[in-house]
Amino acid sequence: MNRESDRATTDTTALARRRFLRLASFGVLLPAGLSACAAGGSSSGEETSAAPAGEVTEDNPFGVPKDTDVDAVIFDGGYGTDYVSFASTAFAAAHGGEVKVTPSTQISQQMQPRFVGGNPPDLLDNSGANNIGLATIAAQLKELTPLVEAKNLEGTVIKDTLYPGMLDDGTYDGKLVQLNYVLTVYGLWYSKTLFAANGWTPPTTWDEALALGEQAKAKGKFLFCWGKEAATYYLTLAIDGAVKEGGDDVRTALGNLEADCWSLPAVQSVLTKMGTAVSSGYFRPGGAGTQFTAAQAQWSQAQEAILYPSGSWIENEMKDQTATDFQMTGTPSLAASASASLPATALHASAGEPFLVPAQAKNAAGGMETLRIMLSKEAATNFAKTKLSSTVVRDTVPADAFGSTALASQVAMLEAAGEDSFTHNFIDIYGMNTDMLVVWNSFLSGQLDVAGLTSGMQEITDKVREDDSVTKVTVS
Amino acid sequence: MVFLVLPFLGYLALVIYPFLQAAYYSLTSWSGFTATQDFVGLDNYARLLGDDTFLKAVGNSLTLLVVLPLLTLVLSFALACLVTFGGSSTGGVRGLRGSSFYRVVSFFPYIVPAIASGIIFAAVYDPSAGLLNGILTGLGLGTAEDYPWLGDARTAMIATVAVIVWTFVGFYMVLFVAAIKGIPAELFEAARLDGAGRFRTAVSVAAPSMTGALRSAYIYLGIFALDAFVFLSVLNPAGGPQNSTLVITQQIYSTAFRQGRFGLACAMGVLLAVITFVFVGLVFGVGRLLGREKKAEVLR
Repeated sequence: MNRESDRATTDTTALARRRFLRLASFGVLLPAGLSACAAGGSSSGEETSAAPAGEVTEDNPFGVPKDTDVDAVIFDGGYGTDYVSFASTAFAAAHGGEVKVTPSTQISQQMQPRFVGGNPPDLLDNSGANNIGLATIAAQLKELTPLVEAKNLEGTVIKDTLYPGMLDDGTYDGKLVQLNYVLTVYGLWYSKTLFAANGWTPPTTWDEALALGEQAKAKGKFLFCWGKEAATYYLTLAIDGAVKEGGDDVRTALGNLEADCWSLPAVQSVLTKMGTAVSSGYFRPGGAGTQFTAAQAQWSQAQEAILYPSGSWIENEMKDQTATDFQMTGTPSLAASASASLPATALHASAGEPFLVPAQAKNAAGGMETLRIMLSKEAATNFAKTKLSSTVVRDTVPADAFGSTALASQVAMLEAAGEDSFTHNFIDIYGMNTDMLVVWNSFLSGQLDVAGLTSGMQEITDKVREDDSVTKVTVS
Repeated sequence: MVFLVLPFLGYLALVIYPFLQAAYYSLTSWSGFTATQDFVGLDNYARLLGDDTFLKAVGNSLTLLVVLPLLTLVLSFALACLVTFGGSSTGGVRGLRGSSFYRVVSFFPYIVPAIASGIIFAAVYDPSAGLLNGILTGLGLGTAEDYPWLGDARTAMIATVAVIVWTFVGFYMVLFVAAIKGIPAELFEAARLDGAGRFRTAVSVAAPSMTGALRSAYIYLGIFALDAFVFLSVLNPAGGPQNSTLVITQQIYSTAFRQGRFGLACAMGVLLAVITFVFVGLVFGVGRLLGREKKAEVLR
């Protein structure tokens, strides 16, 4: 932050003018605008601006004032921002104002001064690599329970229109503070045509996966590949498998960062199988030095690897680098053996694209109303159709899934899972991904064995647990 | 008077004030997203001194501080000597044939933005599709197949340093060429008449006559090495295998923006500032000491 200014102060002390000029010519003394990115003044954000409130009616459950615009800052990633603009038409028809969308890929950097200055946007899509940690701003967010308890445009209570468990990841310390809009199903993805051509069936346990790895090897292919920034996709796969193997107790033990949680038998059984896959050479070598989309193309384009663990964004992410007639299909994450606690259909399903409404927003009601419109049948169906991904709203994807095999398999997996869907987000909440990447890259390269991986991960979680400056979220 | 006061005020407001502000934030537990900060005293510093990852980053930054200027300066100085007086030893003192061409060409890497060189080299180092492994396996080096240059703790830092050196060598070469041209040509001719070879001329004639340029270059490269953010975050955004390429500035960035702990990040910034102070102090101190010895020699 203050690097540039430090340099300048350093170099000017006792500098002769000629030396000063010489250094200046190197550009050393240029004070950069960087250092100015600090908190502005002492404006206390205490006073809640008495925003003009509209009348609360059946059609206006949050009391949106007439003819007031909504200031929406939306992450401009794989889904673009037009699906939020789409809600503007309905908003304008009902309340006069419009939803003004500002696309951003630097959410944290751009929103920081606005949160400090007490003028945050009315609606924020806190997504992408530069998102703000939920723990950092949770206390400054509006509770969204009134939103999910309101009726949607069709007259059904919103809560009842969603897939089960979709609100879990948005609940922080018992309060629903963000609404994750896009359904994300985690699992293993493969080419249906490739599997059919070779007579392979997608594995349901790690035992089956290891057997498949041998068959793939015989065809000169690898079971898996990975990229250096995405090595932790295998961590997600391992956690999913451990939860399926050991049930809810494992999920809560990990989520609450318990001592020795990575040594639980269910976790170890999965990690041991993964270790066998690594030592048997079922992982394509070199992943620790490969950029992740390049690695993913080794699976989707070159088909050197036959399975890839990821969230359901993978189809959209790789659509330009997927072999023709690939027929991308998903299958749930793997338990260690057939004697797992949860059925093979149990699924890690959650939601992405976290939308939130800052408590200090001038038109917070407008922000919530925009979300209410986005959760309506029409807007949610529009999203599914244009993005080939489902929102958290149920029954918006027709049987043909607009021709997308990946989307069709998402819906099929969700239906098969029924109530057996679960989620976990402790890695993200405590920002542990960066540290986890280090040990996972070593593990997948074969430089770290299962014991080393276990103690490495335990060290990372212990550090967070014992750091009392980090607010803990109890998982139940 | 005005023309001194105005820039000084600007300097106070834009440089000194943010610096003090950051120093104050380093004593708070500020998340970066609130209008007020809680004062926590020296907690952040105590935390940093017990933080293995941060200490590893400090170690890597110090390694860069030592290795990067040394390699770059030695290489660019050698090249500068070659294109100024490394040419034929008959006739007038001159550089290698075509030296003006080399001078221009070697400057090219410096013109490429750091981010672009980073992306290019990330592709060059790619284990399966990269140029480097392509050439090495083509030469029959089977062990190079799928070898992750940036993904193995033994080579990640070396590979990174190579990229940075590649970028800067040309620039410093041009700088040193200018410095050597500033030395009277008679000196070189006299040295040659006395039987000094190219290496002896470089070490005993050129180098002592351009200590100012060398020292400035050393300081600039040193400060760059303490930053190095762009190259390292392009080549290995997460800090590299076993954090072998993690540097302080990357830690500051992720602590502030990823983890929302601006107070802690400011403390790291202050420590980085202290390291920079010490470094510059050392370079000037050593320079002054050497200068004094030389004066004493002359007096004797």
